[in-house]
Amino acid sequence: MIEVKNVHKSFGKNEILKGVDLKVEKGDVVVILGPSGSGKTTLLRCINFLEKADQGELLFKGESYHFQHASKKDILNIRKKTAFVFQNYNLFSNKTALENVTEGLIIARKVSKDKAVEIAKECLNKVGLADKYDSYPSQLSGGQQQRVGIARAIAVNPDVILFDEPTSALDPELIGEVLSVMKLLAKEGTTMIVVTHEMSFAEDVASKVVFMDGGVVVEEGTPKEIFCNPKMDRTKQFLRRIIRNYDYSI
Amino acid sequence: MREFDYRYIYRYLPEILPFLGVTFLTVIASVVLGIALGFILAVGKLGKNKIGRFLANGYTTILRCTPSIVLLFVVYYGLPELMMGLFRIDINDIEKGIFVVLTFSLLFAATMSEVMRSAYESVDRGQLEAAVSVGMTPLQAFYRIILPQAFYVALPNFGNSVIALLKDGAVGFTIGFIDVMGKTNLIVSLNYGAHSREIYLGLALVYWIISMVLEYVMKSAEKSLGKGRRILKTN
Amino acid sequence: MSFNFEFFYQTFFTAFRGLPVTLKLTAFSLLISLPLGFLFAVIRLKERSKVKNLVSVYISFVRGTPIVVQILVIYSLIPSIMASIFKGLDIKMNVFDINPMLYAYIVFSLNTVALLSEVFRSALATVEKGQLEAAQAAGLTTFQGYRRIVIPQAMVAALPNICTVTTNLIKSTSLAFLMTVKDITAVAKVEAAYGYNYIEAYIVIWIIYIIICSLVEILFKLVEKRMKVYKRALVS
Repeated sequence: MIEVKNVHKSFGKNEILKGVDLKVEKGDVVVILGPSGSGKTTLLRCINFLEKADQGELLFKGESYHFQHASKKDILNIRKKTAFVFQNYNLFSNKTALENVTEGLIIARKVSKDKAVEIAKECLNKVGLADKYDSYPSQLSGGQQQRVGIARAIAVNPDVILFDEPTSALDPELIGEVLSVMKLLAKEGTTMIVVTHEMSFAEDVASKVVFMDGGVVVEEGTPKEIFCNPKMDRTKQFLRRIIRNYDYSI
Repeated sequence: MREFDYRYIYRYLPEILPFLGVTFLTVIASVVLGIALGFILAVGKLGKNKIGRFLANGYTTILRCTPSIVLLFVVYYGLPELMMGLFRIDINDIEKGIFVVLTFSLLFAATMSEVMRSAYESVDRGQLEAAVSVGMTPLQAFYRIILPQAFYVALPNFGNSVIALLKDGAVGFTIGFIDVMGKTNLIVSLNYGAHSREIYLGLALVYWIISMVLEYVMKSAEKSLGKGRRILKTN
Repeated sequence: MSFNFEFFYQTFFTAFRGLPVTLKLTAFSLLISLPLGFLFAVIRLKERSKVKNLVSVYISFVRGTPIVVQILVIYSLIPSIMASIFKGLDIKMNVFDINPMLYAYIVFSLNTVALLSEVFRSALATVEKGQLEAAQAAGLTTFQGYRRIVIPQAMVAALPNICTVTTNLIKSTSLAFLMTVKDITAVAKVEAAYGYNYIEAYIVIWIIYIIICSLVEILFKLVEKRMKVYKRALVS
């Protein structure tokens, strides 16, 4: 459904993405792992054009786009079919939780206010925040804020949800609540591309794991293949550092 | 009406510029006195004495709402009366500059007290706690740890306030004070208003250049004093 | 020392005659400067352009020169410009018949626009970049993102500074009398000259300005309180 071909992106003199390919089918849960600086966040942000890639092709539901030539209209269309969950939540601080979720529906997708509120309430209930409709982000914990961020993402019924290290900014006790929501979504068949350090998520629900380092995809495969039978040395090195007692069997 | 003549802009400059010294002197005097009074006020604001706090805050609020020209007139006409009434001293013949410096010291003190107060409050409490835990007396802690940090925070505000003072002080000419502004006005009136456009514009340029130079100096001072200071880079 | 209380009370009420002028000047300058100041702030935030440089020079000039000097420059410059315009368009009007209020409006507007654009520029900078990104990721256009998310937040940050600019504007209008505008200062000066009651007159003006400024500050604080609702974090 989504295919990224040969994407390149430099920031000034630093080439962050050096020709990356990625293929995502409907219902896939793709987890992207890698050390910091490997380009995984940049890759994610290029997909919905928060960063403008220098080169490369995007195939999205049969339509082909070139990253460097995409028009404003194309970008808007792609953003209407995708959703992004940020590392530091980026909830609209001047809107309540409910308003945060309805914003994209009412303004960008011209859904009627009543219908939008209905959908928003459903989504907030789903992430476990039925009692927080009228709370402002400043009144919510990190975990609650991120769950609102996820509700905001699922409300627009996107073809794919992009998660950028969704739990990295959370206190350890709050990570669990966010991961459970994400696992629930995965089990329901939502297409997700997740950049994360949470190995448990990768093990439990990923359909594909992609390991990136230095701006390229080093290795990719099923979680079993990557965790139990990594082929590349760099992969082995990374896994050894991340997972204690690296003696893996799923 | 006459044509705008560029030459007049700098024709009178040599007559005006020497009086910049007077302007600068007034600024420096006001700054020094203002800092002294401002410090006392800041101490009052941060202190435990309720009356002290009330007075200090009251002073600041009143002076912040006072146009400089109004205060200048009050001081110019009021102080001699006060001195005459209270001490039987006749100060009607003293330099006009004294009234100007007095007025702007009072105003600058109000600003300074706020700058000092907020700079002091912005220094983390933990710094003081760490200092006394290491064995310093509170006074030592203040001078060696708190003050330098507060000073650095206050610097940009201080710089801006000085530049504002420089500009504000121009109203001194309304009581006949002859600084660079007063001299300019004098020249214009001596010429019966001829070339007023050019002369005033020239004065504006003088002030503009001085402001820009002062801003540059302040920025450099901030940079050089900021060495050894980590700037938190947020991603 | 004798303090003429009777004169004091009298002048109080006469000075109020100048109040409408002061308020008109302030209100007009503010109304013009708010949208224009915002426009200039946006221009300065965009990338390089000739317009941006022009705007920056203009703002630097206004911020680098005393308001008195600006007043005198405008007061000496504009009449001759108007005279040339009248001559060119063959308008039979004497420049000296123009209401000096016009010059006052021009000076204070030009001044306030520059100051407000600085306020808006720094206010917009305080809003996290992530807010706009989240809006774009949700499908809003950049314009919608600014209008609904960034600008409301920037306004709350700008409010205290707008208050400062307003009180400074009110204080600056005390200099309007230099342009023969009949504001509070002018009225008080006239009253004072009759009986040499300068001190009383100026103390009267002083008190009036304190009252006006205090009212303005209270007003702004109220507005700020209402707008800051979303910032109140729950104390557990």
